[in-house]
Amino acid sequence: MIVQALAFYLFAAIMVASAVMVISSRNPVHSVLFLILAFFNAAGLFVLLGAEFLAMILVVVYVGAVAVLFLFVVMMLDVNIAELRHGFLQYLPIGALIGLILLVELGMVAGAWVISPGAGAAAHLPIPPPDQVTNTAALGHVLYDHYVYLFQSAGLILLVAMVGAIVLTLRQREGVRRQSIARQISRRRDEAIEVKDVTSGSGV
Amino acid sequence: MNLFWEGYAWPTIVIVAQIIAMIVPLLVAVAYLTYAERKVIAAMQMRKGPNVVGPFGLLQPLADGVKLLFKETILPAGANRVVFILAPVLTFSLAMVAWSVIPVDEGWAIADINVGILFLFAISSLGVYGVIMAGWASNSKYPFLGALRSAAQMVSYEVSMGFVIITVLLCVGSLNLTDIVLAQRNVWFCVPLLPMFVIFFISTLAETNRAPFDLPEGESELVAGYFVEYSAMAFALFFLGEYANMILMSGMTTILFLGGWLPPLGFAPFTWIPGPIWFFAKVALVLFLFLWVRATFPRYRYDQLMRLGWKVFLPFSLLWVVVTAGALLAFGWLPK
Amino acid sequence: MSLAPDLAAAAPELFLACAAIALLMLGVFRGDGAGRPIMRLSVLALIVALLLVVFPMGGEGIFFNSLFIKDVFGNFMKGLVLVGSGLTILMGWRYVERERMDRPELPVLLLFATVGMLLMISANDLISLYVGLELQSLALYVAAAIRRDSLRASEAGLKYFVLGALSSGMLLYGLSLVYGFAGTTGFTDLAAAFARDAAAGTPVSLGLIVGLVFVAAGIAFKISAVPFHMWTPDVYEGAPTAITAFFAVAPKVAAMALFVRVLMGPFGDLVGQWQQIVVFISIASMALGAFAAIAQSNVKRLMAYSSIGNVGYALVGLASGTEAGIRGVTIYMAIYLVMTVGTFACILAMRINERGVESIDDLRGLSKTHPMMAAALAIFMFSLAGIPPLAGFFGKLYVFLAAIQAGLYGLAVIGVLTSVVGAYYYLRIVKLMYFDEPTEVLDRPIGREVGLVMGVSALAILLFFVMPSLVVDGASAAALSLFAG
Repeated sequence: MIVQALAFYLFAAIMVASAVMVISSRNPVHSVLFLILAFFNAAGLFVLLGAEFLAMILVVVYVGAVAVLFLFVVMMLDVNIAELRHGFLQYLPIGALIGLILLVELGMVAGAWVISPGAGAAAHLPIPPPDQVTNTAALGHVLYDHYVYLFQSAGLILLVAMVGAIVLTLRQREGVRRQSIARQISRRRDEAIEVKDVTSGSGV
Repeated sequence: MNLFWEGYAWPTIVIVAQIIAMIVPLLVAVAYLTYAERKVIAAMQMRKGPNVVGPFGLLQPLADGVKLLFKETILPAGANRVVFILAPVLTFSLAMVAWSVIPVDEGWAIADINVGILFLFAISSLGVYGVIMAGWASNSKYPFLGALRSAAQMVSYEVSMGFVIITVLLCVGSLNLTDIVLAQRNVWFCVPLLPMFVIFFISTLAETNRAPFDLPEGESELVAGYFVEYSAMAFALFFLGEYANMILMSGMTTILFLGGWLPPLGFAPFTWIPGPIWFFAKVALVLFLFLWVRATFPRYRYDQLMRLGWKVFLPFSLLWVVVTAGALLAFGWLPK
Repeated sequence: MSLAPDLAAAAPELFLACAAIALLMLGVFRGDGAGRPIMRLSVLALIVALLLVVFPMGGEGIFFNSLFIKDVFGNFMKGLVLVGSGLTILMGWRYVERERMDRPELPVLLLFATVGMLLMISANDLISLYVGLELQSLALYVAAAIRRDSLRASEAGLKYFVLGALSSGMLLYGLSLVYGFAGTTGFTDLAAAFARDAAAGTPVSLGLIVGLVFVAAGIAFKISAVPFHMWTPDVYEGAPTAITAFFAVAPKVAAMALFVRVLMGPFGDLVGQWQQIVVFISIASMALGAFAAIAQSNVKRLMAYSSIGNVGYALVGLASGTEAGIRGVTIYMAIYLVMTVGTFACILAMRINERGVESIDDLRGLSKTHPMMAAALAIFMFSLAGIPPLAGFFGKLYVFLAAIQAGLYGLAVIGVLTSVVGAYYYLRIVKLMYFDEPTEVLDRPIGREVGLVMGVSALAILLFFVMPSLVVDGASAAALSLFAG
């Protein structure tokens, strides 16, 4: 068990440290790279918890796809931190005030937190024993059987988001030459070239 | 003392031994893959290829390695040092890490984990970071352009690769690599899922930045793409990483579609040959395809590459997932 | 486990979602020229969905593992939403074509928004509430900014999006607090938990109240009740008029239905906690709707403040928390829908020299140039002002009566006072139309659809008192169904 504990502290320490670096690093590209490191260690923590499917999906989706696009954008945009800081200081007082109020509210809520006496009984999703069902199968049952309605609705939301993004940004430009592979392939020799018998010295 | 010995020390020794047993042949294979590439392409172009160092030029890879080892590593002045050095190390180590879950025979894997295929997919999707980091840290325009191309390319082809993997998983009902191989006892998946096999193979070409999708390097327009600024061992690490990735992808193709260590026919003369030999033979076959493609096809233009990925492979593989799932459901072929 | 009964229960939603996806494919393959057929087909899809709502397959009950509820209240509200969406798409399309924004995606997005509204109305779980709300909002953010080359429309879309995202955040924060307290997201289980606590005499937890406040704030944003109304005038003014008409009708009805469903369902036993919130936002909305509208010269901004005020009146019924109150809300929203559709039909018809105009002054002397349109608009204005015997009067009557029965005398009195103030600006429009000289002559209304919608809704408003039972009976049954369980 010492190995697990050591691994936990290793992952947790690196994750916290890299999370701090994400917000304190001056170079935005470094921030993204630290963010990736943080994701990676979060995946490690999931593995320690036995949630191997979640761990792998975290790496595939967040590290492998989302963070790549993020890095892509950050590298291409020349983000000027100093300019961002300028506006930041201007709105700091009011932002801090709102944050403080929310913090105090949260503190009050947490201080007087009561959980409904029947809360335990109401949790009606039984957790299957981990030695009988792999967590991939367990997640699948929850997602595709129990919450299929929400799964499909969420799919609709993503579809709308995609349609919206395309509607608002895609511009058909005039005069762009496009490759039509079907047309290229269906071209015959006699449409494309013409053989002329030229007598030497007379020109075409 | 006994607890220490049996609980920690001995497992550590076993694991280290397993790792060495996996890594050393792998590195040798990588070295001789470069040799094979030069020989195969030479043969296809009616040349001789390397034939000076050692008998038939067999010592050529070692000579190349020694040369790169003794060269000076140059750090460009404007480069971001840490990231610049980290990039090749990352590429190389990722290519090695993925081998920890590859089963060479039944039970012959360092870690036979439940979600093996996802692990492979995750690690291969991380490969793009080596390229992006190298391109960005070099602080030079050609590497940067190469990195951008490669990021877009690898992310695009990963999507259709994911769908291909899902199709295979539908037929297997497990994410474990050993289960995937064992599910092909009766018939290899390359037969019923032939279109997906083709898509997967082409996607692995794009994923490993190999010809005809080697735009990130694109020596004719980008000099050498993301590793223009690299030299000596840093360059060698990229090189090794790239070839190790090729072998890894071939291994993945073998496991997913070519029945892993299983013999092609389940009776006498075939079953005499041990599993690992079959596995290596199949990997070698796929690698030969990689080299053959490189010797045969011209490089794709960038928009053609993107069109192929997003407008052909993605819809087609999505359709095939639906068709496969529908067929499995309709005919009651669902595993378990 | 068979899904068939679940699918039958959600037939209108399923049909509409599939129709939207099919139309999207049609749009993709037919290109930009396919706007008009897709609009027609989407109206047809809304009609079929309406038929599926009116003649439901399968019985009422709770479906999809208690994520989805189907009851009379839901069916009534869904009917209103579908009618509202269908009418606004139908009458707005000519305008959309004139303004060159007739892209095939627009009707598809509006269909998706309608699907979201139906999901909201049928929500029986905190998560399905949120998912439905987000589907509706996301489609509407895009619709608001659909004219992406117009600075004002883009600004409206961006404002709507940023503030909408903020409100979604508040809503989620509240939902998570509620979940943290009760350990469940299902409305049925939540109601049971609160009923048990109330029976045991357990004091209501502070965290739960904070959560409830945040949930109320999030939904109040969607119905644009004060103090979460800031986006409304800007978005109404900036968005293209046809889109504004859509915003003003169906989403309001759906969000109000959701508000009723949430407060009366799971939080029904906490009526003491939320009543003061609803009373406050109701008074604030009525007052702001009445006073701020006076200074407006843009007719779309005016309608924005008018809708804020109207939401305030509808909330009067909700504040009473009784069956009569809910009946009042339901009737009010039905009448509000007809009045708003009619008024926006008139606004869509306001064009001078092929260009849409939005100033109130452009209505001067309308009675002399377009007597029919002036008469219709006058009917809508009188009805909005609440003058008997028009429908608007009855809507207010039912909610105020409910408030008085529930002992909320102050609320009812304030409501009557603000509606007197509000009458000022509604009647000002009537005065402009009938007693001022025309400056510029409006174009003839484009297309038959606008005139048809205008005429039918004017007649409905005018003749409501002849057969009020058509609406009132349905609303009574709807309100009863919420209190049955």
